[in-house]
Amino acid sequence: MANKKVAIIASSPGLETAYKALNIATAAAALDAEVAIFFTFEGLSIIHKDAEQMLKLKPGNEGLAEGFRKVNVPTVPQLLDMAKESGVRMIACQMTVDVMGLEKDHFIDGVELGGAAAFLDFAFDAQVTLNF
Amino acid sequence: MSREIQTDRVLECERLSCPMPVVKTKKAMEEMKPGEVLEVRATDKGSVADLQSWAKRTGHQYIGLIEENGVFRHFLRKASNNETKAEVKFPHTMSNEELNQKKASGESIIVLDVREPAEYVFGHIPGAISVPLGQLEEKISQLDPGKAYAVICRTGNRSDMACQILAEHGFSRVKNVVPGMSQWQGATESDE
Repeated sequence: MANKKVAIIASSPGLETAYKALNIATAAAALDAEVAIFFTFEGLSIIHKDAEQMLKLKPGNEGLAEGFRKVNVPTVPQLLDMAKESGVRMIACQMTVDVMGLEKDHFIDGVELGGAAAFLDFAFDAQVTLNF
Repeated sequence: MSREIQTDRVLECERLSCPMPVVKTKKAMEEMKPGEVLEVRATDKGSVADLQSWAKRTGHQYIGLIEENGVFRHFLRKASNNETKAEVKFPHTMSNEELNQKKASGESIIVLDVREPAEYVFGHIPGAISVPLGQLEEKISQLDPGKAYAVICRTGNRSDMACQILAEHGFSRVKNVVPGMSQWQGATESDE
């Protein structure tokens, strides 16, 4: 079967965004799709080395923490490891990285820096495009 | 009570949520050989739809599902590249329909099912004997070379190899059933 491409943009804050983007990404990779995630604005905290401190549930969603534990949902670092291992490309938006005064060193290993064109080059051929 | 179904590997995914069962299944399958059978044990209800979709998309065979005490036992067989197109080499074949007619007319013929035990469990021709291809040579002494055999698998590939092995061992009344269980219209029974 010809490989599908899945292009994801993660641009919103919070733990919810991390789960939405990374669950779809790892599942898509398991289905033999090529996957790229473009992290921009608040979405950058997902791949930040201090993600654990930065990613919080939205106000009003705190009650979900109990459910996450009960269902044994993998942690964000676990999902990131799986994503990397299965070849998911993780692109940090260079422009927002600069605007926020961040450096490549602030991000976990395996993240590439790129502009909108780098992501679009991949997304043009994608059958699935998602924005979280 | 958990029933034993022989597989090559068991993957424990109990208490893991989406997308872990699918991710781990993919990884396990990559480490397995074509034709081998994997059992995935999951408690995630979503795994029922997910693993069937996964198999359909990746081209592997979803053999069947048993639900047991809240555990979903999925059975999957790793596809081989040449499987969809059978390259038949054993010269003596019979069609599914011929076999069905022979059975209906009461003709004395032994149906030898050479698929994996898990495939056999989820549906086989009534009365068929299960001898997986990989075990045929060690079990061949239990079979009578004088009897007539209809050898069947899913698509006619493994049964072709089995016919050649039987012929080498002096079995002269052996026929490969094509295309095999994937297109079988006659009666089946399952051990579920």
